[in-house]
Amino acid sequence: MEYAAGIDVGSTQTKAVLLDASRAIVARALINTGANVKRAGQTALDTLLSQSGVAKEAVGFVVGTGYGRYKIEAGNAQVTEISCHARGAQLLFPGTRTVIDMGGQDTKAIKVGPEGDVLDFCMNDKCAAGTGRFLAGAAEVLGLSLDDIGEISLRGTQPIRLTSVCTVFVESDILGYVAQKRKMEDILAGVHQAIASRTIGLVRRVGMEAEFTFTGGVARNMGMVRALEAKLDVTLNVSPDAHFMGALGAALFALDHVLAGRSVVPAAADVPAEWVTG
Amino acid sequence: MNYDAIVQHCRELLEMLPAQAVARAREKHPDVRGLAVFPVYAPVEIIHAAKLMPVGLFGVGNKLEISHADSRFQSFICSIAKSTLELFLRNETDGIEGVVFSSICDVARNLASLVKRNAPQLLVEYLHLPQNMGNSGSAAYTRAEFERFRTNLAAHIQRPITDASIAASLDVYNKVRHLIRALYARRKEHPGSIPTADLYAVVQAGTRMMPEDYLPILEAFLSEARRRNPRPRDSVHVVLEGAFCEQPPALLIDTIEGAGCQIKDDDLVVGFRWFQEHVGCNGDAMGALAEAYLHCSVYSSVRHDWRHRRTEGLLRRVQDAGAAAVVFTPAKFCEPALLDYVPFVEVLDKNKIPHIKLEFEEKMWTFEASRTEVETFSESMLFE
Amino acid sequence: MSTAVADVKDYRGRVHNLSSRIMTDWMTQLKQAAASGSPSAYLMISGNCVEILRCFDILPVFPEINALQLAIRKKSLPYIIKAEEIGYASDNCAYVKADIGFTLSGGVGKDGNIPVPSMIVCNFVGCNVYIKWFEHCAAMFNCPLVMIDVPFVREGDRPCPGDVAYVMSQLYDLIHQCEELTGRKFDIDKLREIMRHSARAEEGWTRCKDLCKRRPAPFDAYFDSINMMGPINALRGTREAADFFDAAVLEYEEMVQRGEGVLPEEKFRIVTEGPPPYPYYRNFRSLFETWGAVAVQSTYSTVGGTWEFGFRHDPDRPLESIAEQMLVHNLCNRTLTERYAQIRRYVEEWDADALVIHSIKSCRLFSAGQGDMREYFTKELGVLTLMVESDLEDPRYYAEAQMKNRIDAFFEALQYKRIRGAAHAAAAKG
Repeated sequence: MEYAAGIDVGSTQTKAVLLDASRAIVARALINTGANVKRAGQTALDTLLSQSGVAKEAVGFVVGTGYGRYKIEAGNAQVTEISCHARGAQLLFPGTRTVIDMGGQDTKAIKVGPEGDVLDFCMNDKCAAGTGRFLAGAAEVLGLSLDDIGEISLRGTQPIRLTSVCTVFVESDILGYVAQKRKMEDILAGVHQAIASRTIGLVRRVGMEAEFTFTGGVARNMGMVRALEAKLDVTLNVSPDAHFMGALGAALFALDHVLAGRSVVPAAADVPAEWVTG
Repeated sequence: MNYDAIVQHCRELLEMLPAQAVARAREKHPDVRGLAVFPVYAPVEIIHAAKLMPVGLFGVGNKLEISHADSRFQSFICSIAKSTLELFLRNETDGIEGVVFSSICDVARNLASLVKRNAPQLLVEYLHLPQNMGNSGSAAYTRAEFERFRTNLAAHIQRPITDASIAASLDVYNKVRHLIRALYARRKEHPGSIPTADLYAVVQAGTRMMPEDYLPILEAFLSEARRRNPRPRDSVHVVLEGAFCEQPPALLIDTIEGAGCQIKDDDLVVGFRWFQEHVGCNGDAMGALAEAYLHCSVYSSVRHDWRHRRTEGLLRRVQDAGAAAVVFTPAKFCEPALLDYVPFVEVLDKNKIPHIKLEFEEKMWTFEASRTEVETFSESMLFE
Repeated sequence: MSTAVADVKDYRGRVHNLSSRIMTDWMTQLKQAAASGSPSAYLMISGNCVEILRCFDILPVFPEINALQLAIRKKSLPYIIKAEEIGYASDNCAYVKADIGFTLSGGVGKDGNIPVPSMIVCNFVGCNVYIKWFEHCAAMFNCPLVMIDVPFVREGDRPCPGDVAYVMSQLYDLIHQCEELTGRKFDIDKLREIMRHSARAEEGWTRCKDLCKRRPAPFDAYFDSINMMGPINALRGTREAADFFDAAVLEYEEMVQRGEGVLPEEKFRIVTEGPPPYPYYRNFRSLFETWGAVAVQSTYSTVGGTWEFGFRHDPDRPLESIAEQMLVHNLCNRTLTERYAQIRRYVEEWDADALVIHSIKSCRLFSAGQGDMREYFTKELGVLTLMVESDLEDPRYYAEAQMKNRIDAFFEALQYKRIRGAAHAAAAKG
């Protein structure tokens, strides 16, 4: 049996996925990147091996992605996370035409072809407006945990309007609303809506084509999922592995190399059902 | 109408989108359609003579959510450009024939192209207003540019725009400008008789109705204002500079006056108050407009005139107003205002005139930070 | 990180050495003028009337080039900060800030590299910021400011009635000012001679650009064009600049004959829009080289003039043709939608695979609305378009990792598209 690994070294977390030749996920790893990017990549790979019991030599190819992709010593090749998210999303949801990837630093809208190829993409401009970092800023001002704010926002009935989605101004804006005694859930609903509208701006740039698959760390935030769905007026594909999507795509690219010499290529539809929620 | 009713009426008009203001005007003038005017100056007389209502476009960022325009304009572009484009991308233009832009800055210039491309059904005019006031060819050029505008407008509405009708419109707008100057003079002489936020609403609302309907409102407001004579407060008399294009939220103005400053002169809505004196016609209204632009325009960050530098203009304004300080209110990302800030500050420092800068954006609604700054500023001056 | 200066001089071929030599000669003249106080004038690059200054032997000084050189030598930031200290905003054009900061630091004047201008010619062509910049300079140096207000091309692609006459009447003013400054009479025959040099340089520049229609392209029409923009924009009207382009044509024709391109392998042909990030010029270039991407045309190379579409200065109609060039035949004075048309011609006639937009914060003339340009090319023309952001002068806006990520993803997509296209073609063949 041959295996392929994908390692996604992000600014805060490093994610890794090990695939077997049938494209089944054999192991996942999630660790904090920390200051030593090189070590994070290695630790993630080691975790995959120890979890799965697969021998190092059995891993035929490793593809690195994410901002730290060039620092992964075990990486045989590097692919950007844009290509990887497209590839991963297409495996889990073959009908995907648009990927919305929301991470800590970047939000991306990716237009995807039927084979998981990137047809076009757009990313947020230089400021962190409308990214996970913006959410983190809002959570911090309110003294809440980043993991909770999505759920809380869902209870909002009268969302506030933000002046801008500038990470610098959000603090004074939110404090202004707190001073007005607006409810926490309404403030958070407003924050989520503001990011959602900004994200729609990105999606519009590549064209609004269903199905939409939501990936990246923020996809675990139900408040964000619902806010985007409301703006887009569709149901988003969201996998519990949403934050592993970059690593999964990288592993798929790695598997291409492993399988390059073979004639049998597994079909994209052969995906175990437990990965997918609709 | 009494003072408060007038202010209230004007605020209502300003709450409307431009198309809604046109619809309101059509209740009284069923045949009237609007022509939107992007700041700063435009020859509104020609528009009015075409039986169109010049409608001020001051940004609608506090009314429309920007969801289309930010895919066209980057994050470092001012909010009025974005919200104006949003308005046109969403086709919020019922009853509006078109829009006129002018050569105020690089962003407005590109915005004109974008509107033209994305709203092809509209008449989109771009005026290159002269930046050389003193050349022997300046008068002929300016006149030719105004004539071109008239020709294009007439072709679009398929009606001639006669010299006589332009002369009549010039007369109406002369009266409007005269009354606004009188209001400004009243505020200057009796600070507090017209809170600036009220004056601002009344002046800006003039860009939301036909000028002939505006005149009686201005007259009534002036006579109401002349009756009011509140006791002067202990405050720092200031001049406002820098909000000539994108207009600040009224709350910012209130904040400034509520935090210890009394505004004695400003450049709010300046494009509609552009000429500093009566524009004589002498049987040639187009010539008069061109001459007035070259020789009777107010100093402005969007007009180069090395004969009368803007630094002198600001200094004179401060002196004429008897002001003790300047509050700069540039819109965020506004290049003309932000670049002029440097020589302005230099001349103020040289003349020992204190100043403070408050940047704003259309959508801002909380000015707590500004209030603290202005309070500190005015306290430092009052208790010196 | 390696220093950009060394990298930029590490150039391919004779063109770069020649360019560097004649530009250095000019720089030496500037330094000499700074010391001697001989007549010089500030001028804007775009749609400039350098021929008239040359006619009076007034040395042209281009603050844009000063700022550019500070950036490419990685010296711009302290000057930008110096300007911000006296009140320039972080949102103001960093070219202005670097130049003003440099001036305030003694870079201009007797002991500096740049002469204090005898006058400032504000050939206002498109860029509104320029008016302020030159006003500030005129106030700093207390020298005359000659305004040449060039009406924007606002109806299609030609001037409006009255525009040419207005510009010409201002050119007469300029000539008068030059006469006063130098005490010399205007010599129209000398101007004609200068314009013949201009036209020859314009012809050579056009032929060079045309050679980029060939596969592989003999030079990169974005990055290598920078070395030809000095001669065409700043040194135009001199015999040396005209000779330079004759030499460039020769070199590039030889390369085309040998089938030699600027890169070992030309994999992708791109058109670029917007100025480059000078503070990271070499790094930025290498992000494209890695992918075998060559710019076959660029809008930035036409800020001074759109010569490739046929316009030449005409010695038989000297002032009129100068006025026409300032008005119509340069990128900066034309509408954004005219720029779309220009890029479209580039993509089609130069046979490019994609469009790359480098959106810079400093220059709104260039960048405001480029999202709409992207929209037009991707949605209406189906041209794969990448938009990246940084700045042409301020190093603080360049984020290498973000930049690389976007560029890599873009070429991954292009490559995939090509592989798939080839696979489908092979499948169709059976």
